[in-house]
Amino acid sequence: MSDNDCYVLDGNAAAGLLHEFFVVDVTTAHTRCGGCGATHVLGALRVYAVPMGAVLRCSSCQRILLRAVKTPHGRWLEMSGAQYLRF
Amino acid sequence: MTDGTAGPARRLEWQLAEVRDIVVETPRVKSLLTHVTGWRGHLPGQHVDIRLTAEDGYQAQRSYSIASPPEDELIELTVVQVDNGEVSAYLHGELRRGDRFELRGPIGGYFVWTTSSGGPLQLICAGSGVAPLMAMLRHRDRRAARGPALLLYSSRSLEEVIYREELETMARRDRDLRVVYTLTSKQPEGWTGYRRRIDQAMLAESCFPPEANPRSFVCGPTPFVESASRLLVELGHDPLSIKTERFGPTGG
Repeated sequence: MSDNDCYVLDGNAAAGLLHEFFVVDVTTAHTRCGGCGATHVLGALRVYAVPMGAVLRCSSCQRILLRAVKTPHGRWLEMSGAQYLRF
Repeated sequence: MTDGTAGPARRLEWQLAEVRDIVVETPRVKSLLTHVTGWRGHLPGQHVDIRLTAEDGYQAQRSYSIASPPEDELIELTVVQVDNGEVSAYLHGELRRGDRFELRGPIGGYFVWTTSSGGPLQLICAGSGVAPLMAMLRHRDRRAARGPALLLYSSRSLEEVIYREELETMARRDRDLRVVYTLTSKQPEGWTGYRRRIDQAMLAESCFPPEANPRSFVCGPTPFVESASRLLVELGHDPLSIKTERFGPTGG
């Protein structure tokens, strides 16, 4: 609704980007933080949108759970901060 | 599988949307009624990505909430004209009936509500954050069996309330729907309603009690969303029952 440069969003906002990585909508999947152990639905995480992609952080402890970036060399998904995704 | 999206899993593809009508909502807000061939349907609260390509190949992408209910044939996107906003400037100023632009969606199964999700439905928004909530209200309005619902809408002035006439018509014929405005900077003469930013007392007075187990959706600028959702939790609402959507370049 706005084109302001405002970068902190909800995980729901990353749904379009993550759809480029997954065929299913993963924003309704659950994930467990590898740091504090909290589980969240992806759509409820904090998303920090960056020009090349997004960083999804745990909404309890701010640990980085997922990084999704698009580069000329392909799409990269790094999720070492998350223990799992449960669909 | 908790995925609430309609239809089988598939890759998200860019499609062409054709503008069928443009509605001037307020001086800074327009709604685009668009037709998308082969649209597979959406759920209230979902959004789309829009991509504009300049002649030199430069592309800009933004997300917009869908304001129309799944029952309608045309997809309604409500656009606020943002100062120096390259996409909103084009959608606002240049786009005419019959023009086409690229869109992909529907996107997001998290911030959604349908009549089968249960209720009561508790909607709290500021400014154009009303757009995805309007899809929920319109969807609910199309159904015979409606549960109780509340829209608490924070706007600078009554003139800036988007969909005002429709909201008032809806509330008049539906005793289970309460529409409450708070006008934060300018009020009409004789205004007896709220005239301040949303605070705990206002939420305590207006909202369903936590025991009623409402489904809460909060949409607006980030500080608004954070404060409203925190106040709801302080009032005893289950954090898991509160879904939020903040504005931003890839969101709302």
